[in-house]
Amino acid sequence: QQRTITGTVTGKQGGMPLPGVTVQAGNRNTITNANGNFTIQAAPDEVLSFSYIGMKPVSQKAGEGSTALSIQMEENATDLNQVIVTGYQTQKKADLTGAVSVVDVKEIKDIPLGNPVKALQGRVPGVFITTSGDPNSSATVRIRGIGTLGNNDPLYVIDGIPTKRGLQELNQSDIESIQVLKDASAATIYGSRAANGVIIVTTKRAKKGYSRINVDASSSLQYYSTKLKTLNTDGRGRAYWQAAVNDHVDPNNNQIYQYDWNGDYNNPVLNKINLPEFIDAAKTMHPADTYWYDQIAQTSLLQTYNISVANGSERGNSFFSVGMYNNKGIVKATNQQKITARFNTDYSFFNGRLKIGENLSATYIKDALVPATDILFAALVQQPVVPVHTVDGGWGGPAPGMTDRQNPVRLIEDNRQNKSNFYRIFGNAYADLEIIPNLHFKSSYGIDYNGTYQRTLRKAYTSGFLSDKTNFSQTSQDYNGNWVWQNTLTYDVTLQKHHLDFLLGEEQIKYMAQNFYASRQGYALENIDYSYLNAGSTNKDNGGTGSGYTLLSYFGKVNYSYDNRYLASVTLRRDGSSRFGKENRFGMFPAVSLGWRVSEENFIKNNVAFISDLKLRYGWGKTGNQEIANNATNTLYSAIYGIDPTWDFDSGSAYDLGGTGSGQLPSGYTLIQQGNPALKWESTVQSNFGLDFGLFDNRLSGSVDYFIKKTSDILISPAYLAVIGEGGTKFVNGASMQNKGLEVLLSYSGNIAPGLALTVTGNIATYRNKITKLPAEVLTSYPGNGQDKTILGRSVNSTFGYVADGLFRSQKEVDDYSDQIGKGLGRIRYKDLNNDGVVDDKDRNYIGKGDPDFTYGLNVSLEYKHFDLTFFLQGIQGVQVYNTFKTYTDFASIWPGTNWGARTLDAWTPQHADASIPALTLVDRNNENRTSTYFLESGSYLKLRNLQVGYSFQHFFSKRLQTARVYVQGSNLFTIKSKTFTATDPENPNNAYPIPVIGTVGLNLSF
Amino acid sequence: CLLLGACSKFLDQTPQAVISGDDLNTPENLEKMVVAAYAGLGNDHYTAPYSSMWPYGNIRSGDAYKGGDGAGDISDYHFYETFSLNRVDNGSSDLLWFRLYVCIGRANDALGRLNTATDDAFPNKTIRQAEMKFLRGHFYFLLKILFKHVPYIDETMPKASYDTISNRVYTDQELWGKIIEDFTFAAANLPATQPETGRPNKFAAKAYLAKTLLYAAYKQDESNNVTGIDAAMLQQVNALCDEVMASGKYQLAADFANNFLSKNENGPESVFAIQYSKDDGTPKGRLDYGHALDYPMNQDFGCCGFHSPSYNLVNAFKTDNFGLPMFNTFNNVNITKESDFQTLTFDPRLDHTVAIPGHPYKYDPAFIYQRSWARAPEVYGSYLSLKEAVLPDDPAFQKVPPFMSSSKNWEVIRYADVLLFKAEALIELGRQNEALPLINSIRQRAGASTSLLKQSNGSFTSNYKMGIYQPGINCTWTQDFARQAMRWERRLEFAMEGYRFFDLVRWGIAAEYLNTYFTTEKTRSAHLNDALFKKGRDEYLPIPLNQINFSKGLYKQNTGW
Repeated sequence: QQRTITGTVTGKQGGMPLPGVTVQAGNRNTITNANGNFTIQAAPDEVLSFSYIGMKPVSQKAGEGSTALSIQMEENATDLNQVIVTGYQTQKKADLTGAVSVVDVKEIKDIPLGNPVKALQGRVPGVFITTSGDPNSSATVRIRGIGTLGNNDPLYVIDGIPTKRGLQELNQSDIESIQVLKDASAATIYGSRAANGVIIVTTKRAKKGYSRINVDASSSLQYYSTKLKTLNTDGRGRAYWQAAVNDHVDPNNNQIYQYDWNGDYNNPVLNKINLPEFIDAAKTMHPADTYWYDQIAQTSLLQTYNISVANGSERGNSFFSVGMYNNKGIVKATNQQKITARFNTDYSFFNGRLKIGENLSATYIKDALVPATDILFAALVQQPVVPVHTVDGGWGGPAPGMTDRQNPVRLIEDNRQNKSNFYRIFGNAYADLEIIPNLHFKSSYGIDYNGTYQRTLRKAYTSGFLSDKTNFSQTSQDYNGNWVWQNTLTYDVTLQKHHLDFLLGEEQIKYMAQNFYASRQGYALENIDYSYLNAGSTNKDNGGTGSGYTLLSYFGKVNYSYDNRYLASVTLRRDGSSRFGKENRFGMFPAVSLGWRVSEENFIKNNVAFISDLKLRYGWGKTGNQEIANNATNTLYSAIYGIDPTWDFDSGSAYDLGGTGSGQLPSGYTLIQQGNPALKWESTVQSNFGLDFGLFDNRLSGSVDYFIKKTSDILISPAYLAVIGEGGTKFVNGASMQNKGLEVLLSYSGNIAPGLALTVTGNIATYRNKITKLPAEVLTSYPGNGQDKTILGRSVNSTFGYVADGLFRSQKEVDDYSDQIGKGLGRIRYKDLNNDGVVDDKDRNYIGKGDPDFTYGLNVSLEYKHFDLTFFLQGIQGVQVYNTFKTYTDFASIWPGTNWGARTLDAWTPQHADASIPALTLVDRNNENRTSTYFLESGSYLKLRNLQVGYSFQHFFSKRLQTARVYVQGSNLFTIKSKTFTATDPENPNNAYPIPVIGTVGLNLSF
Repeated sequence: CLLLGACSKFLDQTPQAVISGDDLNTPENLEKMVVAAYAGLGNDHYTAPYSSMWPYGNIRSGDAYKGGDGAGDISDYHFYETFSLNRVDNGSSDLLWFRLYVCIGRANDALGRLNTATDDAFPNKTIRQAEMKFLRGHFYFLLKILFKHVPYIDETMPKASYDTISNRVYTDQELWGKIIEDFTFAAANLPATQPETGRPNKFAAKAYLAKTLLYAAYKQDESNNVTGIDAAMLQQVNALCDEVMASGKYQLAADFANNFLSKNENGPESVFAIQYSKDDGTPKGRLDYGHALDYPMNQDFGCCGFHSPSYNLVNAFKTDNFGLPMFNTFNNVNITKESDFQTLTFDPRLDHTVAIPGHPYKYDPAFIYQRSWARAPEVYGSYLSLKEAVLPDDPAFQKVPPFMSSSKNWEVIRYADVLLFKAEALIELGRQNEALPLINSIRQRAGASTSLLKQSNGSFTSNYKMGIYQPGINCTWTQDFARQAMRWERRLEFAMEGYRFFDLVRWGIAAEYLNTYFTTEKTRSAHLNDALFKKGRDEYLPIPLNQINFSKGLYKQNTGW
């Protein structure tokens, strides 16, 4: 006997009501309303089944119906009905034939990354992310290794609009989904520019019958935990003394330290180090003991706030969000403030046959223009005896005999006022008309423009022997971007067991860039509020330039499936780019892929019950790359009057023919490049063999992909025969390389005890890179000697140099060894690889590679009642990093005027003969700065990237507050690294902006 | 453009902010292309200083140490200094080679365009051609003395053929001939007076032609041994110098210092100088960037302490009782104390050339150079080069943080050089008596150049004693003695000006001279411990390995490398 059964369906995590869930009892069905409530007729013994896309189905007996049922549904990351955006269209995951990775946005939403793409680090096999701790959140993304010698950045497609800018300007909490198209069969639909992979981002929209206000807030503290150990004043003095004594020169022949020692070079004993009252002749600086890293570092605050409003109705939906992100860096005065706003709407007309909508986002970013790289470097090299301030409160700085680098604190304080203001507007408007059932015409017009305004003031200063008595202010503006117009026709049809999707489309992109700057000197006040251009009095300077390109593309795709068992897809894209010569403007990019859902075959269905899903995939396709200068096909001159030649040659053409010494000069034109009208698209052909599986009701699922990726006609601008002179730069289609790799993803999801849900997702990926073709004359531009030892057949990340074979530990070892200029006791012995009795440049070989053996990640989530716990481990194994900072940390001779690492106190001496660090010396006679294995170290690491614990309150405070969740979160909590790695963070081997340890508390509210 | 036909133009993008070569053949633009070629002279840079030449001509000659912050600070130059460490893949040599061909390329570009212009449309055609050949001659001259065998490219060769032109198309002497050809054309076609100071005139071309012929006259075999001196060429050198002297356009500056002071630029002694400028509309000024590392480490300057005179050079300024150089004994005792400069006697050019602790820096008695101004005195001693420097309050001074330099011109040929070219030619022709007054005129001017060399109390900075050669009284003026005197005079007169090493190679004495120098000098400065000059190899830089590779083996490496 049927009764009226009522109930509410909520999501298991967060407890949000789920509208639109299909509830079925026998042949009757209904869907839940906006509050997740349903009403249905059912007999007590009847089983109610609940289904919802993206959730695991739930079945439950109807029961007596006396109390309302409370149903919880659990998200299912491996759900085969999940809808995947695959380029101008969507497909069910079950129907995919390409290598597509889906990022679990839920796992990353509360991590304060600043740049959502960082979330892919270690979570998507085959996607390799390197980042720093810089508040500007820059990240380098490499999909399936380095595929080309030029620009390796992937293409991003945000709500259907392609862009080469990364995701750093996107609000992380606006993201609905991230998918990565790794292989060519998936990416070819984006043909041009897809060779480095495609990252597709869809932002949130409101859904019918769904109203919600979400508030997220978090605060984090960031810590600088990887400070390098440099010498203190006493240590620097000891190291210098030891170096001088080793060289048998008078250690007191220096300008700061004076030594009380026994004067016996063979058995030296240091009694006392004496410091002068002042370290400079002008008597402004007392000797100090400054640990510069402490002076530049701060424990800093990172805050994020987001509010979003979603409102869905029968005729239209709207989503509005505002986000604020304020990241003060762990280097003082570094900072990024970001404000994002998003407005996504869509409206239906004519009974849903016409849909009109838009996505629009605006971003404002204010970045501190503090020279963090210089500051970090100065903290390493500035000597500890230098005080931060002089006796009268001025800036301390290098004293005689010291390196000419700045006081890093001055760099911080004198640049605090300088900011960059960045604006970006990104979005599209579209109309989608269903002409006849299942035949859609969609037209979308998108824009992506950004502007940067900077006004900077460089103050006059005196700091040690460094000074600049002039001030300077520059204002610059930069404006660039593109519009995109896309038109597509889609049709899908089902004829019995045959299902076909058709896509036909056209796309145009027009890009422009313009910029200019102006500067003056001679400001009466050194105040950013004053230093507008008009206030400057001398040395007016200005400049500006522009560029542009266009792209025109046609594409089509057919997806076919038979009985949900056999899948096939064919893609063809034809791209034209203004960057190529008239004859070669268009490139053709085809792809085919096949899939076989073995698990749908009866012989599996009927015989192997534990296999719930099994699919074999194969894909082949070709993608393109046009990342070269816009005018590369033309031979061009430029009216370069003069440039800033501080660091490089002036390429200017002005000359003081009149001999007057100043004033406007006559000038001419500089040849800037050789045209190559035959330039054509670089292309990448990729084959992908894939396997997807789900076992035990999909509790255990995973995928395996093997790929072979061959890039040919790589666009390079090779170094050239010097007699060609300037402007010999010429792009050619000149090189080829290959990547092969394997990616494995394995996931378990299930209840391991009543109420205790466990999800474990692990992945591992590897690739091997090699260069297969290069023009002979450019071989020397790559590691190798250009003759018998070349990069061909090797990874582009190879290191070429000498093999450091320990130290000479006895005079006999020195005397017996091959002829090595500069050899001596305690010096590095380099292997005489060709055994000719002489150590020279012929003894260099390939000594290391920068490609990891493999990369991996492991994410574990536990849910118990209202608690949730997630941790994420990420690592790289078998990678070698070239630690150039060892020239500072291990030697006194290579940079005699800088501070050195604390490691120098552990260097070889006759009394400390088992040391591995070469003897200190003041003169690097042995050329130990040469590229050698001494500087190659294991960069392998395993990091606890994230650990998060959350607690959800349900209907706790009031009826209006649907859910509330609080969490604490830690990032980069520990690192396991190789013993042979001598710097502090293998992820950041060369002292780039340090990656902080972050502790976060946060709150999610939903009304 | 939804339709295929309408889209065809969508991909036609006009290049922005650039101009094609075909638009540059108007008379107005021809003049501009000539200016661009001149700009090559001023585009010098400390990373490959082809105008100041100090890493190649001074620190390879025993006159100067590299300086800076130890051997690792621009280690490529340290390799030059020690010779034994230099390599075929020294990146600085490759850059130097490239930069010189950039300058040649500009001259060839302008020449190719000038050749197609008519005299009617462009009345200055021949003069500008002569100027461009002068510049091209200058840059090939530099390549020649640096690398010996270089590919010769002129404006008649299409760019596509450049990779077929070997560095051995011409023999050593034929290559000199090509340079002589350019200067001969320039001497024949340049006007005696140019309306603009920066352009060379007829006599500058004759002086440079004399210089080229003087180098070419010392014939070398494939192993860089000097096998003989071409008397006919020496005769030409002598005649050309006479023409320059007879022009009446030049004379020795009254004070030696005037050659190195910005206020006396383009003075009577300047035959050909590189014109630098500031406050000229460029971001930092068109400064003497080749010398941008050469200032001391005090608050007024602050970078970078490169280009330090050697102990040997300072000792060479000692004079004997007659005020003459101490050819054989100058280096026996090293100057170690400030008081030595008062107790011994010196050629006054010492304090024009070398910054010495306790002495006024650049003639300012209130601005005393300190040992603490040196960058790494424990490695490189505490001397610093002065000729290129200006005072911090000099109108030509300009900071370009962290570096600094000035808009003071740099002399390529000054009149003293012409006198000593002539003296050298005469001596090698056996006419040493005619050379005597030339050398003495140089010495007399130097001896009279002490008015700026004073301490704040009015006393002379060092104890100067300067005499002239008086045969029969203080010397015996044989050919051998005259040769020694002339060579010594060149060293002191042009010390730190960039060409000393090339003099040594020209005379065929580089190996013996430098290895003798190293034997003593390495006991004073440990950074020279591994220095060794390999005869038959180190007279020239190796052809850069990159260029041999880029040429696919077409270029042949120099002897010994």
